[in-house]
Amino acid sequence: MSTPPTGSRVVVVGAGFAGLYAATALDRAGHRVTLVTQGLGGMQLSQGTLDVLGYRATDERGSERVTDSLAAIDELPEEHPYRTIGADAVERGVAEFLELAADAPGAVVMRGDVRRPTLLPTAVGAWRPTAFVPVSMLAGAPEPGKHLHIVGIRQLKDFHPQLIATNLGRTPLDGVGPVESSWSSLDFLARAGEIDSSPVVYARALDEPATLSRFADRLATHVREQALPEGAVLGLPAVLGLERHPEVLSTLERASGVRIFEIVMQPPSVPGMRLNQALTRAYKAGHGRLLLGSSVVGVKSEQSAGGDQRVTAVTVHVAGGDRDIACDHVVFAPGGFESGALELDSHDQLHETALGLPLHGVLPIEELVHGDYWGAPQKLFAVGLRTDGLQRPVDETGAVVYSNLHAAGSILAGAYRWQEKSGEGIALGSARRCIDAIVETSREQTDAPAGVQGVAPREQTDAPAGVQGVAPREQTDAPAGVQGVAPREQKGA
Amino acid sequence: MAHEHDQLNRMTLDHCVKCTICETQCPVARVTPLFPGPKFVGPQAERFRDGESVDMSIDYCSSCGICTQACPQGVKIAEMNTQARAVMKEEHMPLRDRLISQTTLMGAMMNPVAPLANAALGNGLVRSLVQATFKVAKDAPMPPAQKQTLAQWLRKRKPSTTPVTRGSVVFFSGCAGGYFEVETSKKSIEVLEHLGYEVLVPKQGCCGLAQQSNGLFDGARRSVMALCDDLLSAGELTIVSSSGSCTGMLKHEAHTILGIDDERLAKVGTRIRDISELLVELYDAGEFDPSQFRETNVTVPYHQPCQVKSQGMGMPAKTLMQLIPGVVVEESGQPCCGIAGTYGLKAEKYAIAQEVGRPVFEMIRATNENLATCDTETCRWQIRKGSGVNTIHPIELVHHALGLGTIPGI
Repeated sequence: MSTPPTGSRVVVVGAGFAGLYAATALDRAGHRVTLVTQGLGGMQLSQGTLDVLGYRATDERGSERVTDSLAAIDELPEEHPYRTIGADAVERGVAEFLELAADAPGAVVMRGDVRRPTLLPTAVGAWRPTAFVPVSMLAGAPEPGKHLHIVGIRQLKDFHPQLIATNLGRTPLDGVGPVESSWSSLDFLARAGEIDSSPVVYARALDEPATLSRFADRLATHVREQALPEGAVLGLPAVLGLERHPEVLSTLERASGVRIFEIVMQPPSVPGMRLNQALTRAYKAGHGRLLLGSSVVGVKSEQSAGGDQRVTAVTVHVAGGDRDIACDHVVFAPGGFESGALELDSHDQLHETALGLPLHGVLPIEELVHGDYWGAPQKLFAVGLRTDGLQRPVDETGAVVYSNLHAAGSILAGAYRWQEKSGEGIALGSARRCIDAIVETSREQTDAPAGVQGVAPREQTDAPAGVQGVAPREQTDAPAGVQGVAPREQKGA
Repeated sequence: MAHEHDQLNRMTLDHCVKCTICETQCPVARVTPLFPGPKFVGPQAERFRDGESVDMSIDYCSSCGICTQACPQGVKIAEMNTQARAVMKEEHMPLRDRLISQTTLMGAMMNPVAPLANAALGNGLVRSLVQATFKVAKDAPMPPAQKQTLAQWLRKRKPSTTPVTRGSVVFFSGCAGGYFEVETSKKSIEVLEHLGYEVLVPKQGCCGLAQQSNGLFDGARRSVMALCDDLLSAGELTIVSSSGSCTGMLKHEAHTILGIDDERLAKVGTRIRDISELLVELYDAGEFDPSQFRETNVTVPYHQPCQVKSQGMGMPAKTLMQLIPGVVVEESGQPCCGIAGTYGLKAEKYAIAQEVGRPVFEMIRATNENLATCDTETCRWQIRKGSGVNTIHPIELVHHALGLGTIPGI
C-alpha cells in the first residue's frame, strides 16, 4: 500500500459495471486512477447477475433465445456494440470481473457459462436467461422433475409467491417439460414497529444472529407444514443477508433441510447491492481515488503534435467550484438514459449530458418512440455513442473525437440491452477493450522501442476474432496504442 | 420562512426516479423505523409541501447529506429535507436547540473555567439534571475545555522562522478548532509554515452550521456572512482549514441550504481548501515531495465524516496519509459516525446516533486500539467516546511524519 502507483493518470467516469471494473483493473495494473461518479452506479439497481446475450432479434417484432452467446455475436447487426468489442474481450472482461467479485471483502461468488445462458425465475414468475448468477440463485434453474416452492413473507411488500409460482408452472420450457410449482406465505417482521419494511431492511435484519435464528426456526416449521414433495427446492425473496449472506443462506438451508434459491425483487435489489459493495470495496482497497457525488461537466483538450485532439483534464463540479483533474486517458462510462447520461429534452433533442459527444442512431422523434408498448423495440434506446476499435467515440464522419477518450457500457449505441439481456456483457467487454487500449498505449509511451516492435504481431493467427475484425479500419490513422494489443503475448516468445 | 430560495433544490425532485439508492445508504433509516428514509420524507413528501409540513418524521433526519451524495440523478435530497425541517420547527423551536448551536458561546464560557467546566461535564448528577432540563443526553460526548485557546497560543508563540516561499494563506480554525481541538489547529498552522506558507489567522467567528442544522436559518445566515468578512479581512487569499464540516458550510451548504447568493460567500467558498485537499493538490502538481516524510509504521483507521464526504472531493486525507512510508490506512467504509453535528447530543436521538456509529467504533477498535483519524471535531468526540480510541485529525499524523512533533503511541 505504501508505494504509490506511477503509471498513466486515468480518469474513469461512472461507477457501474463498466466503470468500477475498469477503474479497479487499471489501478491494479499500476495506473493512477480517479473514479468520478455522480452518485452510486447502476450495479446496485441490477439483478446482481451477469447477462451476456440471452435473446437475438429475428425480425422487427420477434426474437429467439440464444444457445451460444459468443457465437451469436458475429450474427448481430454491424452497429451492435458487441461487433466492435468482440467475443474475446467479453470473455476476458467477464472472467476478470468474476475474480474481482469473488476476491473482495463481502465476496460474491458467481457461477455460470459465458456461452450458455441459464434460466432463472423472476419476481413475476417469468424465466429469464442470464450467463452468471450468484450461488444463492443456482437452485432456481429448471431441471426435469424439479419442484419449485415459492415462499413469501406477508410483511414484505411487492413479493407475490402465488403470482410467481403460477406463472412458472404454466410456462413451457424446451427440453425440461413443465416445472412443478407451489407457493405459501409466512409471517415475519424484520423489526418491531414497521410492517412494510424494504428488502434491504430484511437483509440487514437477517445479518443479526438473533433475528436469523428466529427466522430459521419459523422457516423450518413452515416447510414441515407444507409437506413438500421429494426434490423440492425453496424460492425465497432475495433478502437473505447483506454482509453475512453466505452464512444466512447456509443457516436457512440447514434449518429447513431443503435447497434454497433467491428471487431478485424490484429495487433496492439486495443481490445488486452485494455485488456493488464487493466491487466498490475491491476498488477502494487499492490506491485509486473515488470522487463520489461529483459530476463531470466538461474536459480540457489540446491538439497533439500528431494533429489529434487529446483530453488533458476532466472538469469535475465539486463543492466550492470546478476542479480540473489532469489525465492521460479517460474511460467514459456514465450509463445511458437510466442514469441521466443521455437525455431527450422537451424539444425532442437528444444529448449526451456530460461532454456533449456526438450521438448516433438519432432519427425523427416519430421513428425513435412509438406507442406500441409490447411491440417492436423503441429505437430511442439504441441511441448512444459509436466508437472505433479502441472504443473511442467517433463523429458522424467516423473521425475520432478525442484520441485518448474511450467509452464503455450503456452509453454505447446500437443495443436493446434489456430485451437482448446483454447489458453486463457489453459493459464488461467494452471496459476490457478500454483497459487494453490504455495499458498498451502507456506501455509504448514508457518503452518506445518495444512499442515499435509491437506492430507486427497483430497479424498473429491466435488473435481473437473480435480484435481482428476491427483492425483494418485502424491501420491508417491508428495511434501507437492500437498496435499495442499484441506485445504482451510477444514477451513470452 | 420563505420558500423562494429553495426553489432550485425543489426543482431537482423531478429528477427522482424512485430508485431507492438513498434509502439503502441512509445511516439513520438503517437503525430505526422512526425515520422512514430520505426519499420518503424528501422527494415524495416534498410534492405535498406548500410552505407547510406534511410529516413530522423528518425531524429524525440528521442532515448528514449521505443521500444527496449517493443520488445518481443529482436530487438535492438532504438540502430539501434540511429546509423542510426548518419550516416544521419554526413554530416550536426547542430552547435546547437554540443553546447547543451556540458553539462560540460554549467555548468562550467554558475555557476560562476549564477545570470547573470539565468537572461539571464529567459529573453524572450535573449531566442528569441537564438531560432532564434541556433534553441533552447525559452520556453524549462533550469536548474537554482547554486551558489555552488558539488565539491565546498565537499571541504567545514565537513567530515561525521558516522562510516564506509559497506566499500567504488564511487559516480558518472553526469554533471547535479555536476553543477545543486547539492541538489540531496548532499543528495545521505548523505544517503550513513548514511547507513555506505565511499563515494569517484573522479574528473569526462561527460558520453557523450548527444553527443551520437546527433550523435556525436567520442566525446561521448572520454568522456565516460575518465569518466571510472575517476571512476576507486579510485579503482575497487561499483559505485553509482543518475543520472538515465548517469548510463544507462555506464551500456549498450556506449557498445550497441557506440560499445565500452573495459575492463574499462565493469568494470564500471557491478559495477555501480542506488542509488535506490542499496538500494533495500540491502533491499532484509536483510541488510537495513525500520523500520528506519520515517512516511511520502504523496501521491507522480513518473515518471520513459525512459532511466532508458531501464535499465531493474524494478522500484526500486517505491519499495524503498513504504517502507516508509505513502508514497503512484502513477506511471505515461507513457513512456516518452518528453525531452529525449536534444530532447525537439530543436526548431523544442519542441512542440512534450511538447505533449509527457502532460499526465505526467496532471497526476502529478492531483496527488499532490506540489511534484513529477523522477530519471533523464533533465526530472525533463521538468516536473517542464510542470507541475509547484516541482520535486525531489526519494532519496530526502528517505533522508527526514531517518531524514537527510526535504522537504518543507511534
